[in-house]
Amino acid sequence: MKDFDINNPDVFLQIEIQENLRTVIDPELHVNIIDLGLVYEIEASQDNKHIAVLMTMSSRYCPMSEAILNSVRNCLEENYRGYSVEVNLTWEPPWSYELISEEGLKQLGR
Amino acid sequence: MYRIVVAHYVFSALCLVALATLLLFSTGDLFGNYFSPHLLAITHLAALGWGTSVIFGACYQLIPVVFETKLFSTKLPWIGFVMLAAGVILLASSFWRFDVGTYMQLAGALIVTAIVLFNATVMLTARQNKKAAAIYQEFISTACIWLFATALLGLLLVLNFRYIFLPKDHLHFLKLHAHMGIAGWFLLLIIGVSSKLIPMFLASRKQNEKLLNWSYYLINAALLAFLVDGYINGINYKTFAIAAAAVAGLVFYAIYIVQCFRSRLKKKIELPITNTLISYGLLAAAVLILPLIIYFHLQNDGRAVLYSNVYGFLIFIGWISSLILGQAFKTLPFIVWTRKYEDLAGRVKTPLPAELYSHSLLKVQTAAYTLFCACFFIGMLLQNSWLTLAGLICLLITSLTYIGNIFVLLSHKSARLK
Repeated sequence: MKDFDINNPDVFLQIEIQENLRTVIDPELHVNIIDLGLVYEIEASQDNKHIAVLMTMSSRYCPMSEAILNSVRNCLEENYRGYSVEVNLTWEPPWSYELISEEGLKQLGR
Repeated sequence: MYRIVVAHYVFSALCLVALATLLLFSTGDLFGNYFSPHLLAITHLAALGWGTSVIFGACYQLIPVVFETKLFSTKLPWIGFVMLAAGVILLASSFWRFDVGTYMQLAGALIVTAIVLFNATVMLTARQNKKAAAIYQEFISTACIWLFATALLGLLLVLNFRYIFLPKDHLHFLKLHAHMGIAGWFLLLIIGVSSKLIPMFLASRKQNEKLLNWSYYLINAALLAFLVDGYINGINYKTFAIAAAAVAGLVFYAIYIVQCFRSRLKKKIELPITNTLISYGLLAAAVLILPLIIYFHLQNDGRAVLYSNVYGFLIFIGWISSLILGQAFKTLPFIVWTRKYEDLAGRVKTPLPAELYSHSLLKVQTAAYTLFCACFFIGMLLQNSWLTLAGLICLLITSLTYIGNIFVLLSHKSARLK
């Protein structure tokens, strides 16, 4: 995931969203989507009351893609009532195992 | 879509219980010729009712994912399911009584139509995806064609019982029919689906698709060669070379799977995956028996029949069954989870798909199935009826725990965890 810009007034909101997204678990790997490196970008604006998440899946053929995207949408709508939520799926750049965090690897038993 | 998938899983589980029960009443047939009414009934119940039915159900869920598009139709699968279920019940009961008349012919027609509807759904779904087909899609599409060819030859064999028109004897075509089903349908389909799912389940870093290309061409070439040469010459010394080509195709697939396991990030091997590993062991055992069958057949040695029976059981009640007994608990929990928790997930803490079924029942199932394998196959090789009977009792326990767990899973009520 890209680094947060400390000069951005919405940065704390973005960090909070990232922490909330840790409650969304990949149902197969049992690791949250942030530590799996599935979330590429979080854009959030308190002024516009808008949240946009750009994320990917571990595989194009993942049968749970729709369910994971819904979980992200549900999580944001539940925690940020009054905000419009946009969750977009991208395949560029393709997800790779190098994106898994140290914590994620630990949870996978590595 | 949920109901049609579940209907296939439940029907398949019922067929497993039925075939395990029927096997207990057929112990006298186990050491005789495989062309016996009871063994034919059980084999078709295993291949179509237990194996094909659950594959159809899983495919209706997975094919939109593999082909990256929506399923072409939901009506066709329902019509196909009713025809398949009715056809399987009619066919198994007709074989059991060896009534080769109208009911068996009707059963054959129903099954062929159900397969045509399944293939139409798969092909029309595949056509909606304009991208170049990946090797997984080639495996699945080709497997569907082989399934149709298998069923069509099966129907011709059924009609040949009454109106003798085939140019060679029944047993000659039975070998071709069986191998189109085993290698063409089950093997290609299982390779196509598992080569995508297993690395996903294990989070494997390495997926060498070139190996799968080799596997695809070798298995198809071997099968075509077996059909042509087998039809013209029957089993002969060339059959060894043809079998070797098919085995080479399997070896490429095995290397692919080993690489997936070695490069996996998910360290812990779960019980459903353990069942999958057992299934590969049973497939390897079946492959090792093949040269013996060919050898004894060429020597006109009666052991060819015994080893053919062991081979058939290793394929249907061994490899395919073990794979389903494990993979059902990797696929169905996700289907149920999506149905029950898609709206809740992310809002509240929900259980994981793997928490929707009973792990204790799955342990009992795996233990009973392992005991079945040990007792039954050793009993068959030693022609010891007590050992085979003990094995079959274990198979019945396996089937009951399996269906029990399927119902535990399906009757799961949505729960918000604290």
